[in-house]
Amino acid sequence: MPVNGDVGRILQLIEKTLEDPIGYIRRQKSERRVKIVGWLLTDVPEELIHAAGALPFGITGGSESFSQADAHLQSWACSLARSCLELGLQGKLSFLDGLIIPHTCDTTRNLGGIWKHARPLPLMESYLIPRQVDRPSAKSYLTGELGRLKAKLEQCTRTGITVKRLHDSIALYNRNRTLIRKLFRRHVDDPETLNNRAVYNIIKSSMIMPKEDHNNLLRELDAALGIYKKAGTTKGYIKIALSGKVWEPREIMNMLDGIKAVVVADDLATGHRYINGDVRESGDPIEALAHRQITRMPFACYGSAQFERRRFLTDMVRESGAAGLVFIHLKFCEPENFDYPDMKSACQSTGIPTIKIETEMGNMSLGQIETRLQAFLEVLRGGADNDGTASL
Amino acid sequence: MTERPPFKSAGLLKKLMSRYYAKGKAAREKGIPIAWVTAVFPVEVLYAAGIFPYYPENFGTLAAARKVAAKLSANAEARGYYFDLCGYARCGLGDAYAADHPAGVIGRPDLLFCCNTQCGSLPKWFETAGRFYNAPFFLLDSPMIETTPTTLGKEYFIDQLKEMIDFLEIRTGQPFDSDRLAEVMALSGEACRLWNEILDMAALRPAPLGFFDACFHMAPILTWRGTKEAVAYYKNLKEELELRLVRKIYAVPNERYKIYWDHSPVWPRLRWFADYFAAKGALVAASQYTHSWAWSFDTTRPLESLAENYTEAFVNRGFEKRVQMKIAFMKKYGMDGFVFFSNRSCKNNSFGLYDKRKAISSKTGLPGVVIEGDMSDLRFFAEEQVKARLDVLFEQLGQRGK
Ligand code: SF4
Ligand code: SF4
Repeated sequence: MPVNGDVGRILQLIEKTLEDPIGYIRRQKSERRVKIVGWLLTDVPEELIHAAGALPFGITGGSESFSQADAHLQSWACSLARSCLELGLQGKLSFLDGLIIPHTCDTTRNLGGIWKHARPLPLMESYLIPRQVDRPSAKSYLTGELGRLKAKLEQCTRTGITVKRLHDSIALYNRNRTLIRKLFRRHVDDPETLNNRAVYNIIKSSMIMPKEDHNNLLRELDAALGIYKKAGTTKGYIKIALSGKVWEPREIMNMLDGIKAVVVADDLATGHRYINGDVRESGDPIEALAHRQITRMPFACYGSAQFERRRFLTDMVRESGAAGLVFIHLKFCEPENFDYPDMKSACQSTGIPTIKIETEMGNMSLGQIETRLQAFLEVLRGGADNDGTASL
Repeated sequence: MTERPPFKSAGLLKKLMSRYYAKGKAAREKGIPIAWVTAVFPVEVLYAAGIFPYYPENFGTLAAARKVAAKLSANAEARGYYFDLCGYARCGLGDAYAADHPAGVIGRPDLLFCCNTQCGSLPKWFETAGRFYNAPFFLLDSPMIETTPTTLGKEYFIDQLKEMIDFLEIRTGQPFDSDRLAEVMALSGEACRLWNEILDMAALRPAPLGFFDACFHMAPILTWRGTKEAVAYYKNLKEELELRLVRKIYAVPNERYKIYWDHSPVWPRLRWFADYFAAKGALVAASQYTHSWAWSFDTTRPLESLAENYTEAFVNRGFEKRVQMKIAFMKKYGMDGFVFFSNRSCKNNSFGLYDKRKAISSKTGLPGVVIEGDMSDLRFFAEEQVKARLDVLFEQLGQRGK
């Protein structure tokens, strides 16, 4: 199906925004005279930032080269944390009025202190997520923690976060998630028009652009895409699922597009972890935010006995109809490194072929990744030949 | 260099530790549940519930000290566990998969309890082990204390202690015994008090013991804390040290410098470090590591007191507070310089050390260096580099005319 002019234009605009997110957000700041509060991956309740009248800005990785970070953070910290810190140290984030770092692991637990010491910003807060979610104590604690964050944000912007304001922000964010999920379904059915790179760009750009603008853009895109016939458009494509932290280096998506693999599900922080699950729009909005956090899909940074990640992943693959699972494995991510072997064997024992691609932010040899992805796809296309162990 | 006479307590320690393992074995036979616990965990509650605590981290140190960490780790790595995980976890998981057990067999848990005050590696390791052994895992979650302790954090911990007590009652089928808890806490507090009095003797000039001795003698404060045995052991050790003072037997002959160390030792090279420093006339006097157990309990409000002690430990504090605490240590012991061990296994204790070194040197004027390595895995230990760094420290100390 030929991509219509408007669709191409919108996708281009998104791509351009992602090429220079900092430039983009700085323009927003000067045009709108608004405070910008940055956040690191993952799970930061942006609705609170928005309701405080500031513009949330997701920092999903940064500098490709490391010149200053190594003097502050060991080279065996994950490249996601190192690259974000590098941006800060280079002074590229000095325009921020605040930064929120969620405690997902020991790296993020220590990052804030280092950052604050080396290059302080007006507001620097940790988001102290509970690391157990199965017991009642988690929710009452988290409600308190969100209240603490709320007060800090109110101080920063000098704007009270009223129930009304927070409800409005929540509704706005829910609309955004709904729109993206709709476009994702379109991508699954019609990957020719909305390929992997395009749809994951949409998710990532949502972390950068003001939600009001993003929603308008997505509505425009949806209209431009028009109606489509489901049959035929996925011919020659193989469905796959992804698991990991982030889809970096981003060329991975182009590689998958190139070999006609269509990503139909994932548990990435820059993927479905961001767009799944809405916040209840009635009742106490802080409690509603806490509820979303506690019931989010499982991931490596905290475990849940009731919502186990192994079962989640194998269900995800089965329900989405993916033929195999690619672990996009960010080197030195300790929580993921603990999870990987059991996740892999759970897949193996349910007959799901998997492959692990080790990635880093920054200078990576892309050729190697491409070769491995190609080989994996060949195994998947081999259909009956594979026994689910794809030992690559 | 002249050898000191060996500690008489060393023999006691050996006996005590074999009794610990024998007790574990007997518990298994009697059907008493065996629980994995972490080093900084309110084990007092488990004793009160009649459960036998087993410390997998201790297994890790044992494997490391016997220089078999890389061998055990290889079993875990073959299963896909990456070498950036905490070495204790790699040893523990590796041993679970291994056919031969050069450090003895790691104990099999019926239940797993973890407190994440120390780090985020332990909960992941225990969660994984829980799947391996098919045993329930209970996490006591302790969010970091950024500046000062908050009521929110404390109440969260207390709520979880109550949840844990419910969990234990269900598992053991016995009502929880609060009197017994107070008793155990008193014993635990007493052992901690003695242990810290012993550690404080390193401030004497010259001192009868230092950090490397403390690493040896810390096994009972870890594994027997909460029992009469731990109290008796440290009473005995303290007397022995007092006697050594009278007889003028010191940790390092001709002690010239006192050095602060952070954090854990390099287990398989303990001897190498001890010799290096002794040759320089330097006593590595203390590390926060061996002070991990410095509880002082108020048994009239047991749960609050447990929450305060176990969440407010140095390892769970923010950057500034940790800097202040390290400086306070250096002052208390009259340190002349410091060595920070950037331990590849232990992110929570290592990240931030580069900046802390600078901050502390500029605030105190004390020279300090950061060395790179791993507490258990010698693949990450480059002797020449480490030695060169330490030499720099002693050049600086020499220039300061001491
Ligand atoms: S180690 Fe993993 S969880 Fe932690 S910051 Fe890095 S990518 Fe995120
Ligand atoms: S060595 Fe560090 S990472 Fe390993 S268990 Fe101890 S505190 Fe945790």
